[in-house]
Amino acid sequence: MLTYSFKRVVQLLVTVLGVVTLVFFTMRLIPGDPISAMAGDNLSGAALDRMRSQMGLNDPLLVQYLAYLARLAVLDFGNTVTTKLPIIDLIVGALPITVSIAVGTIILTVAIAIPLGTLAAYMAHKGNRVLDNVITGVAMVLDLMPPFWTSLVCLLIFSLTLGWFPASGTVTIDDPVTLLRRVALPVLVLSMAQVATLARITRTAVLEVLNEDYVRTARSMGWSELRVLFRHALKNSALPIVTVIGLSFGNLLNGTVIVEFIFTLPGIGNLLVGGMNSRDYQMVQTLIVFYAMIFVVINFATDLIYRVFDPRVQF
Amino acid sequence: MTFVIPSKLFGVLLSGAVAWTTLACAPALHAAEDKTLVVRFYDDPAGFDPANIFRIENENIAFNIFSGLTTYDSKTGKIIPDLAESWETKDNLTWTFRLRKGVQWQKGYGEFTAADVIYSYKRVLDPQTASPYASELAGIDTMEAPDPYTLIIRLKAPNGGFLHTVANYHQGQIVKKEAVEAAGNQVRWKPVGTGPYALESIDVNSRIVLKRHEGYYKGPAPIATLDFHIIKDDATAAIALRNGEIDVLMRQSKEEQLQILKEAGFKMNHVDNYASSLKVMNLSDPILKDVRVRQAIAHAIDYAAITEAIAPSLQGTATSLLMPWMDVYSKDAPTYGYDPEKAKKLLAEAGYPDGFVLKTLGTSAQGVTEQQQFEIDYLSQVGIKMELELVDTPTFNQRRNKGDFMTASRLLPAINPDMILFSYLHPSNIAPKGLNGARYDNPELTATIEAARAEAEPERRMELYAKAQKIAMTDLPYLPATSSNVFWPSKTEVNGVTINYLAQVNFWEVTK
Repeated sequence: MLTYSFKRVVQLLVTVLGVVTLVFFTMRLIPGDPISAMAGDNLSGAALDRMRSQMGLNDPLLVQYLAYLARLAVLDFGNTVTTKLPIIDLIVGALPITVSIAVGTIILTVAIAIPLGTLAAYMAHKGNRVLDNVITGVAMVLDLMPPFWTSLVCLLIFSLTLGWFPASGTVTIDDPVTLLRRVALPVLVLSMAQVATLARITRTAVLEVLNEDYVRTARSMGWSELRVLFRHALKNSALPIVTVIGLSFGNLLNGTVIVEFIFTLPGIGNLLVGGMNSRDYQMVQTLIVFYAMIFVVINFATDLIYRVFDPRVQF
Repeated sequence: MTFVIPSKLFGVLLSGAVAWTTLACAPALHAAEDKTLVVRFYDDPAGFDPANIFRIENENIAFNIFSGLTTYDSKTGKIIPDLAESWETKDNLTWTFRLRKGVQWQKGYGEFTAADVIYSYKRVLDPQTASPYASELAGIDTMEAPDPYTLIIRLKAPNGGFLHTVANYHQGQIVKKEAVEAAGNQVRWKPVGTGPYALESIDVNSRIVLKRHEGYYKGPAPIATLDFHIIKDDATAAIALRNGEIDVLMRQSKEEQLQILKEAGFKMNHVDNYASSLKVMNLSDPILKDVRVRQAIAHAIDYAAITEAIAPSLQGTATSLLMPWMDVYSKDAPTYGYDPEKAKKLLAEAGYPDGFVLKTLGTSAQGVTEQQQFEIDYLSQVGIKMELELVDTPTFNQRRNKGDFMTASRLLPAINPDMILFSYLHPSNIAPKGLNGARYDNPELTATIEAARAEAEPERRMELYAKAQKIAMTDLPYLPATSSNVFWPSKTEVNGVTINYLAQVNFWEVTK
């Protein structure tokens, strides 16, 4: 286990270095830079060049890269190029919002998708194709709806017409009631897409094990259908479900970018879009490193959870 | 029978009545004093240091925090006094400003004097500041302050438009040395000015709060707090206004949302023709260097019909580089009505009877706009095949600066007509050095605008500017396509939202 953890930490460092290098150079391959993005229409080339020099953007690329690595090695994430604010402060400020949305979405998704998928599998197993088809069909429709569209529809219905949730307004972690009211709709929107995938995977996984011997044995012992379903069938089909939940974090990080924009939530996705638009190299690099670390950590956590569900898994 | 109230009892009753009245009225008075105006802000703030400020929304905050020697009348766009009570010049070369006495800096930095102006301008000119606006002040030769309330500025060459240079905008905004030094490298987030509002707090990801400056020289503003909420999406912003979450919606750029808000009864505060959108013709292109081709393009497209079809609220037609509200605007410059037959004739004369391929550079962020679709259709009717090349915005700016395009577009927000003519038409400003993206160089026009800038006699100056507009609109290095209107819808109880010709609002004039 210790050797495995060590291997994973090394793997994390290599991944981060690879990501850093890739992002550093690709960002600079894209035409334009922070200065031209900032200035837009109204500045002459001479004025722009003066500003570039002052920001060190005219230094050789390798010099800039090594300087960046040196700072990163001592966990100095630096300031944004355009606003000169400490990036770590911005991330710490934005993180609770994105985590609230992500965790809320995962909870809501699991709460809806797993019972729904299990029910669909059970119905299919029992030969009730109608309900199975209805559940699978609804899941597919939800999956097809793009989040930016469902976001606006949700705003029109739940915010404007019904007045249940605000469309804007400041939100902080210190005010949990407002936070809940503000993240409720984004969580709903993101869950719609996630529910579809997870319900389908759950259905397939549960359906597969429903014909296994141990399920038949459990039934023959006279246990209730619910106990058979959730205690035996679901637990033994957990591996693909856990994998999908782990992977769905990746989709979630994409999804939060859209919902944070439309619902005006100051989270990490919002920082990333702002950083990309202003070609803020420093900001985008740091955020990508941050995202890469989240991915690696989640993959690691998913592996560990495998063992909870299946003790045969060896590290 | 006479009922006499003992004097003591009367005193008690009276003081009780006064106390009751005071208490009863207290909330009303309190409310009047502590009103908050919630305003939509449409992008992440990028800082408010006048020397390095960008983008209209940030400039709007700075406009209310800082002051200049002069400023702009919100309704007419005319130059009016601000920190300078009056000024005089005989030759457009030496300018003497008499400064207002008793003007207080925000955050307790004391009284404003001429030394603050000299510091501010020198700071912009200092290469260390790397201000993109340094060239605006580069014409200053010397500055002196014989006393704290008099400032004499001598220029290297006469400049009749100098009052625009020192206005409450970019390089003209006056900062306080001690505040700048105390802020260090965070100066863009710690602005201290003499304007009606001071920055109270900022969360760069969500909110900017301004508090009124009680010591403002015109008196405290009616609204105590300006609470700017960052709402980037236009549709969300409209819903927030309809929900009552915000009072004023800074800049609604979607025509359909404007119609919804209008029908819902909101106040549609707007300024028309604040900027002109130009089709930049690259004169180094072998086809476009022929003036007949440029004129043919102008005659081939019916911009009046296009704006009416696409966004009648947000756009109007533009017929000149200068806007009709500018004091030196001339009606005598040539205009180009929709006339496809004339366009075909001009093309034939230029040697393109079967037309040619007109490559147009655009941004992928905007995509293929409805306006471009109409242009493609109109131009095809005279034989010109318009092809679009869409690139990302920084690439667009880079290629436009390098001259790697045939035609491109540019929005021209400016309030100083002299700046427009010099920046866009003077050969010393040919891109990438300056904003003359068309690479236009006509010695007659150059001499005319130089003479106009130096001319002290108003009538003669007007004549020269009229001549410059005539030449520019004949040569047509830039085709004025449309003009932009800016809307800030608000609740009906909000008054005084007057958008000036820099698309800014002076919140000192706003009440609720």
